[in-house]
Amino acid sequence: MGGHLNINHLMFLGQGALWTIGLSVIALIGGGIVGFVIALARISPLKSVRIASAVYVQLIQGTPLLVILFLGYFGLAAIGLKVSPLAAAGASLTLYVAAYLGEIWRGCIQSVPKPQWEAAEGLALSRTQRMLKVILPQAIRIATPPTVGFMVQIVKNTSLASVVGFVELMRSGQIVNNSLFEPFAIYAIIAVIYFAMCYPLSLFSQRLERRMGRGRSNLAPA
Amino acid sequence: MTNKTLLGTAAALLGLVILSATPASADLLDDVMKAKKIRISTDLAIPPSGMMDSSMKPTGSDVEVAQLLAKDWGLELEFIQTTGATRIPNVLTGKADIIISTLSVTPERAKVIDFTKRYATLQSDVGCLKSMNVKDWPDLKGKSIGVSRGTTQDTTLSNMKDKELTIARYDDDATEVTAAVSGQVDCVGTSATIINQIGVKNPARIFESKIPLATFDLAIGLKKGEQRLMDKLNGWITENVKNGKLNAIYKKFHGVELPPDMRS
Repeated sequence: MGGHLNINHLMFLGQGALWTIGLSVIALIGGGIVGFVIALARISPLKSVRIASAVYVQLIQGTPLLVILFLGYFGLAAIGLKVSPLAAAGASLTLYVAAYLGEIWRGCIQSVPKPQWEAAEGLALSRTQRMLKVILPQAIRIATPPTVGFMVQIVKNTSLASVVGFVELMRSGQIVNNSLFEPFAIYAIIAVIYFAMCYPLSLFSQRLERRMGRGRSNLAPA
Repeated sequence: MTNKTLLGTAAALLGLVILSATPASADLLDDVMKAKKIRISTDLAIPPSGMMDSSMKPTGSDVEVAQLLAKDWGLELEFIQTTGATRIPNVLTGKADIIISTLSVTPERAKVIDFTKRYATLQSDVGCLKSMNVKDWPDLKGKSIGVSRGTTQDTTLSNMKDKELTIARYDDDATEVTAAVSGQVDCVGTSATIINQIGVKNPARIFESKIPLATFDLAIGLKKGEQRLMDKLNGWITENVKNGKLNAIYKKFHGVELPPDMRS
């Protein structure tokens, strides 16, 4: 107890920050892939697929991430599966992110104006061609701001992974604070690090929007 | 529903799952000896039992007890990072072999895990600003008492319904100390070591122990039904209480000796 903030403490916080970044990347890549499948399943022509994916989304969205993490780590161990904290946190975050991104992206796909769907169909494009060439390029533009907004949230939500023994940025701050008792200094540093992670994401989103917004025509239905 | 109650619910559900599953049990002591490694669940954010030194190496009374145990048994030691709430799930699900983490012996916990005999005790008090005139429980009426959430101090104070106490629960000891240092609370319920720490942080607000709260026995926790490991741990504790090593560790971090009735 006591003592002063030194380079070792900062290194420890830096290590925690790296884990936060790593966990966020896993969550976003894993969640992005699964989420894309969910988004497509939500607008599938098959009713059973639509219902199954809707149930998944409701189930995950109605459960706190903390509980998903807890069940992923301790629950799987209880039925005999050995999972490391990284695997459990990665998998839980993937499931969680997928449910939200899937729903965000479904909305974006469906908000592409109806005439675009009809025109694509009128050109005798197959369902895959319609999606890839006409609908998705427009949906991505709409999806950029909410997706990035959600990504920023996920970076911060990774702090919940401390419940499975994961020492990410927030938990490493807690550990340092409990040996120094200097909360204001330590939490200020942590806030700055989180900001340094999230702000570039927002900047990137703005640039992306500007670039893709160029040449955008007015697609309001006639 | 707060995060902690949600976690509690999840833990309870998990407990049911575990109880209903038949354990694929080899003997834990054999497993540990074969692996030449013992995995100990210790919260490294509860000073002065588990914390980090200035070079970010684990230190504290529980840390040294764990190190002594591993050394005596010729095992490699691995600390399983945990928070207060996940100490017990860690051993229930085989993530860790034993818990050494200021685990107070309570009847609720004894339903889920087994305890060894005590290796230390934890004296906790209600401490207040030195200038405050607090002699007994009625003097505390209407004053906020800060505690670390989910600890045995929290439970003990919360159960004193007839005393009309106001309890402010914080995430951990460091936050509780901050609350006391910054004037959010004028009383805290915690160990004597932490109470003294407040004055060190802010000489304008010196706290002292006012009313003894309770003395808890601290024991090593392990999964139910591991009798051989339990016997070996109990033997080790008896030996190291007798030769004074556990007392020396306790004194080094807590500034006081283990109670006389435990040392004789």
